[in-house]
Amino acid sequence: MSRLGTITRRTFLGLAAVAAGGIAVGYYYYRKPYPNPLEDDLAEGEVTFNPYLKIGSDETITVIAPRAEMGQGISTTLAAFVAEELDVTLDRVKVEHGPPSYAYYNAAMLEEGGGFNFWDNSFTAETVRGMMGVAGKMLGLQATGGSTAARDGFDRMRQAGAAARAMLVDAAAARLGVAATELETENGTIVHTASGRSVTYGSVATDAAKLAPPSEVRLREPAQWKLLGKPQPRVDMLDKVTGAPIFGIDVRQPDMLFATVRMSPVFGAKPVRSDISAATAMPGVLKIVPIESTYGSGFGVIAENTWAAFKAAEAIDVEWGEPAYPRTHDAIVSMIADAARSGDASAMRDDGDVDAAFADAPPERVIESEYSVPYLAHAPMEPMNCTARLKDGVLDVWAPNQMPVLVRWFCSDIAGVPGERTNVHTTSMGGAFGRRGELDYAIYATILAKETDGRPVQVTWTREEDMRRGVYRPASAGLFRARIGDDGLPVAVDMRIAAQNMMASLTSRLFPSLPAGGSDPSITDGSRNQPYTIPNYRVSEIQVPLTIPVSFWRSVGNSVNGFFHEAFMDEIAHAGGIDPVEMRRKLMADFPAAVAVVDKVAEMSGWGETLPEGKARGFAFTLSFGSWCGQVVQIADTPAGIKLEKMWIAVDVGTALDPGIIETQMTSGAVFGLSAAMGQELTFRDGMVEQSNFHDFDAMRMHQAPEFEVAVLENFHKMGGVGEVGTPPAAPALANAIFALTGKRIRSLPLSKEAAFA
Amino acid sequence: MQLEVDGRQIDIQVDPQMPLLWALRDVAGILGPKFGCGIAACGACTVLIDGAPVRSCVLPVGDVTGRVTTIEGLARDGALHRVQQAWLDEQVAQCGYCQAGQIMTAVALLEEIPDPTDDDIDKAMAGNLCRCGTYPRIRAAIKRAAGNATGA
Amino acid sequence: MTSRPIILAALVSLFAPALLTSASAQTSQQAEPVVDRERGLAEWEKVHAVFAHPRCANCHVEDEHPRWSGPHYGETRVHAFNVQRGDDGSGFGNAGLRCSTCHFETNSQVLHGPPGAENWHLAPVEMVWFGKTSAEICAQIKDPERNGDRSLREVATHVRDDALVAWGWDPGPGREPAPGSAEETYQAILAWEASGAPCP
Repeated sequence: MSRLGTITRRTFLGLAAVAAGGIAVGYYYYRKPYPNPLEDDLAEGEVTFNPYLKIGSDETITVIAPRAEMGQGISTTLAAFVAEELDVTLDRVKVEHGPPSYAYYNAAMLEEGGGFNFWDNSFTAETVRGMMGVAGKMLGLQATGGSTAARDGFDRMRQAGAAARAMLVDAAAARLGVAATELETENGTIVHTASGRSVTYGSVATDAAKLAPPSEVRLREPAQWKLLGKPQPRVDMLDKVTGAPIFGIDVRQPDMLFATVRMSPVFGAKPVRSDISAATAMPGVLKIVPIESTYGSGFGVIAENTWAAFKAAEAIDVEWGEPAYPRTHDAIVSMIADAARSGDASAMRDDGDVDAAFADAPPERVIESEYSVPYLAHAPMEPMNCTARLKDGVLDVWAPNQMPVLVRWFCSDIAGVPGERTNVHTTSMGGAFGRRGELDYAIYATILAKETDGRPVQVTWTREEDMRRGVYRPASAGLFRARIGDDGLPVAVDMRIAAQNMMASLTSRLFPSLPAGGSDPSITDGSRNQPYTIPNYRVSEIQVPLTIPVSFWRSVGNSVNGFFHEAFMDEIAHAGGIDPVEMRRKLMADFPAAVAVVDKVAEMSGWGETLPEGKARGFAFTLSFGSWCGQVVQIADTPAGIKLEKMWIAVDVGTALDPGIIETQMTSGAVFGLSAAMGQELTFRDGMVEQSNFHDFDAMRMHQAPEFEVAVLENFHKMGGVGEVGTPPAAPALANAIFALTGKRIRSLPLSKEAAFA
Repeated sequence: MQLEVDGRQIDIQVDPQMPLLWALRDVAGILGPKFGCGIAACGACTVLIDGAPVRSCVLPVGDVTGRVTTIEGLARDGALHRVQQAWLDEQVAQCGYCQAGQIMTAVALLEEIPDPTDDDIDKAMAGNLCRCGTYPRIRAAIKRAAGNATGA
Repeated sequence: MTSRPIILAALVSLFAPALLTSASAQTSQQAEPVVDRERGLAEWEKVHAVFAHPRCANCHVEDEHPRWSGPHYGETRVHAFNVQRGDDGSGFGNAGLRCSTCHFETNSQVLHGPPGAENWHLAPVEMVWFGKTSAEICAQIKDPERNGDRSLREVATHVRDDALVAWGWDPGPGREPAPGSAEETYQAILAWEASGAPCP
């Protein structure tokens, strides 16, 4: 298994033997690591070559894109991996999500989780990354997250396409009585040029699937790519402009019931007194049942339609218990701020001797700032929902989810049926941003499906339930100090960052019997691992023992630390009297990919040119998920408030598999980050989240969106992620622009607490 | 009660206080309009009533008097509406959940203002939330559709 | 030099009410009012409490934007979604986002859902109450140039009978209604007029 890791890494690095027509690599599927889940469910005349491909005698080519489509365009890019090597255009293939299966493990996600700097190729880092990849395979986590999907699928899915093409060509050679080397493929047809004869993929698929898979395949070099590296039309775009029923909330099954939940808004509390009689008597209500789960306690309401369920849930008369955390917002915020100031810290990066560097620092050369960010909801457009049916000992779960294997584990257990009698159908998702890596919606649907005598039941949350019973981006506070040298550059930085342990929170929901100890690298992610060289550089983690449920939120810890680190770098530049972009060029000189990004975004935006009165720009940079991203935002002071005029983004992703999708993901990530920076905040009262809908937790709207210009670079030798990379630098770029415009340094998000936006 | 939806007469028996959205989705099986907020704050549920955009999540179905058009009724004779085609050409959608509502609002805007300015677009579209941040491409698609209308 | 505009404004505010009172008295064909400034101001205060209440003032604005306020909206703020008066000045919103896109003839019964009444729209720009002093609102309501060319009696019946005005006392779940009632406000306007319609 470790050899497999070595091969894939070499492929990344392009060091494997180059043969004519492509790169020869060992075909991973030759070893058949897991059963092919497609073998159990083939249509008449259809055969499968590997977990990623089915071909029918009617020429239907079905590609399995086993990562969840939540808007990031991954189904298109994954399908292009297979199609590229199979030598068919994307409009020839049908793309399906595929069943939950260990065959679709996500190794890249766990590789990233090792806590090593992305650029660190040292023996230890490589070894740990390799082990984590192996662990991913063992666990078989078919997860979508961490901006890993394309990186993870890049090798395996291209190999799958190449292997199938080789088998099809071999079968055609036998059929036509010629040598395989005399055959060429052309968009689903195999041609013998010398004789002018040809056969289609569909006509030889059955023969081909009987052949032994090749032990080695040749992959096209990037210069030979027909699909990859070029913008592809999204495979699901037609569905999305015609309102097709592709989302979880659109699932319809015969005889289906509708439901909602009303869970305790006091996290971890149970009902201390309740009366469901009035709600039960309401028209259209079939049943109200208690729900107990690791996600919370409350009620499920089963009804004839969603609206009746909503009305009845509202009518439940219930009083909830006390929280195991402070009831007031101020007390919660103080706990986090105090921890940043004086809590026990573990250094996650410790270059030089920070204490010594500050010990003899002249006070006028030291700056110190406190930063903070709030708890945030994901608020995807499609509220949480899930549909389940438990009938004749078989559980079907239609779940818009990022973790199908875990959904199967948990839901089969709740339903009391074996895993192999549990079918998880992953739907398209109306946004997720990390929220659908949780399992609450699937657990509740399964609990309710046990109450409906075999009838399917769709549970849909109200927006209010979605907002107030979420799992949140943790609030965080930071205490930042820097000593400025005589040249204006920082001699020493000391960053103390406090937040809840997200992994402990996740463990308490998924595996409550397991001990949850240890470090949470996400607390410092985005501060600890940035490509700056500063002689004395310490970044410390401080854990805050609150029990508010926290989880992954687009770009995770980088969404916090991108702001802290880059706003503080702007402060350092200002204190040192250096242009912030010029300071980055100097501090990042050891990382040419970073400097190239800084140079590119500076050039695009015309950084340094004189702006008209009332306009200003801010810059920020974050390396996250293996991609290097610099942003410049230009703002203007208007009578209605601050208007965002334009944002320039340069990003180095190593290899740009689909420049069109990368561009949209950069703007998407930036809008997500700007939305939060401008106005989003969850506050607590009586232990409950106060915000409930888009009137008090809104996001950027059309009239607030700046114009965007995106440049995609491919300088770095490793492929980076795309889906989350645009988010981290957005908030600091805007805060730094506001400082440049007004002289006001805002260190606490959202910025709307101290600045008005148009 | 009788509703005319996408050119079809639909007979549904529900509480007249039920919002049109749930009557369409849960009773009539018309799934194009999406549920996003339930308080007319996100626009995902937008349909046209006699050509005017309406948030169906808050309109009681008993108060509907005109012809209802959903995203499913825009295409004619198998051809996409020019706004849908512009959305396809500009590759607007990401998760896609808000786009039915975005398209319906854009259709109504273009009916009234065939060649909208950026300011017109800002005023018409700000009630339609997109969490994926597709706004630049929505703007481009509206302009493309306007251009198609005038033959530009 | 700088004091001249202030003096002018003071003169206008001193004389304008008297001028307007006599004008409205003529048009309404009523007996000359008995000037009782103290009683009149007490009645005006009842009227002002209604007009300046967020249920009324939030849509009587000087600029293009209606306002939101209430316990779940933080401080009073501009209505979200870039909602505006309308390029035609009608108060009914803009193409693609009319008031009637969300506001129907009845209140949404959902908490935070859009309130509704017949003819939902912003008041004309000259009838501005939001952010104005009691004296300014008083002057406006007595000025036919700025009150829709109404006598005070017509103002009173408008307040009593108009369905959109009536919404202020029945604003739907989660919103504080305007003080009193339509009938009480109608009576207060008549009593105020009868006392000479003094302004503070």
